[in-house]
Amino acid sequence: MGEAILFTLFSLSAVAFALGMVFRRNAVHCALHLVGVLLSLSGMFVLLHAQFIAAIQILVYAGAIMVLFLFVVMLLNVKGETPLLTPGAAKGFGFFFAFIAFVELLWIVVSQGGTEGEPAPLQALPPNFGSPAEIGRILYTTWLFPFEVTSILLMIAVVGAVVLAKRKFA
Amino acid sequence: MDAAFLIESAVKVLIVLGFVLLGVPLIVWMERKVIGHMQDRIGPQRVGPFGLLQTIADGIKLFFKEDIIPSQADRVVFFLAPALSVITAFVALSVVPFGDKVTVFGRDVPLHVADVNVAILWVLGTTSMGVYGIVLGGWASNSKYPLLGGLRSSAQMISYELAQGISLVSVILMTGTLSLAGIVAQQEHMWFIVPQFFAFVIFLLCGIAETNRAPFDLPEAETELVAGFHTEYSSMKFALYFLAEYANMMVVSAVAISVFFGGWRGPFLPPVAWFLIKLSLFLFFFVWLRATFPRLRYDQLMAFGWKVLLPASLLNLAVTAVVVALTG
Repeated sequence: MGEAILFTLFSLSAVAFALGMVFRRNAVHCALHLVGVLLSLSGMFVLLHAQFIAAIQILVYAGAIMVLFLFVVMLLNVKGETPLLTPGAAKGFGFFFAFIAFVELLWIVVSQGGTEGEPAPLQALPPNFGSPAEIGRILYTTWLFPFEVTSILLMIAVVGAVVLAKRKFA
Repeated sequence: MDAAFLIESAVKVLIVLGFVLLGVPLIVWMERKVIGHMQDRIGPQRVGPFGLLQTIADGIKLFFKEDIIPSQADRVVFFLAPALSVITAFVALSVVPFGDKVTVFGRDVPLHVADVNVAILWVLGTTSMGVYGIVLGGWASNSKYPLLGGLRSSAQMISYELAQGISLVSVILMTGTLSLAGIVAQQEHMWFIVPQFFAFVIFLLCGIAETNRAPFDLPEAETELVAGFHTEYSSMKFALYFLAEYANMMVVSAVAISVFFGGWRGPFLPPVAWFLIKLSLFLFFFVWLRATFPRLRYDQLMAFGWKVLLPASLLNLAVTAVVVALTG
């Protein structure tokens, strides 16, 4: 019961913040709404017994990345934004990606939950589910390859950023 | 989740809240008195015995001052920012164990508000959220000096957070737990300051930078930025920033005590007393620093964080990892 109330609370606030992020005009307000979304998601992770992920979500996304976002927004002080796309093209792209996301969701629902009758019974969680030790273990065994690929990807991004920043514009 | 647990938690929350709210005026009084004596003055002495009630009087004065909001300020964010500062400081304190288990009415009560198994990450996460209070305060004032102060603080806090986190990781490697209560439990025979002295030094330096205290108080450098991010704040909103700064000092001290100084452990006296003694010593150290060192220049501050503290903490981590792997 308590979990259902908390879930409703967190999911409603996540959706509300997400809407605020999309509809706000002020870039700093948008960034703050995104922080709200991240915090709500972190609350939902706690409900899923994934405290570690929840803490990392706050620490990395809300605490570090969004601060940098805010930092850049404030530093550039965007007033009259020059849109990259014309409004029509932006709408076209928006509908295109929304359509793809819709198809993906539909596919998941059809392939996973389309069967009639009782849903499969929930399996009991392993005792140390979501603990840092367990996450560390599967990260370095089952998911070692994707994990390393991700770290190389990030490395490339860092090196790329440095190269771009160092380039001299004559 | 039974009723007794709820009552127990509520009482502990009230105790910690009350402790901070009563502790901060005491620290402020201590700071003024100590700095006074260090500068060959006597400090506050008129209000109450030894001037003890001076901070209370100042608090009441601030409470009744006019609350001025700049006409061009972003009102909602201007209001939100000091609140965020205070909330994050209080929330971080909720996972710090301030004593051993005590038995009340036949119930074992652990003396921390919440035993989170990722307590250290919780503290780091909430303190990193504390940056928002300062950055947003600076931005929402819509004024030059606060904005500069806010930008400085965000750059400073992000830079020093890294080294601070990594210095804690070396202790986590040794103990194999992220819980502060668990780390305190493992310091029965030896405080971790002995094997992890360098980690402690790095943590403390970063902690001072994170709390924006001298000699790292660039976000509010009065000689160049008037008062930095809280230039436009007055009345209780200013008092909230003040409260947050001192509460954050308590957070850094409490974490340093739990991780490196055996937490509430100590001979003869009850655990809570030891915790308070260590906390007071740390806070005295903060004040002592402020009275001793001049402020760093901004480029020195950034260079020190990225070129000295971060490599040092990584090196310490690598050495710890090798030692743990060999002896482990």
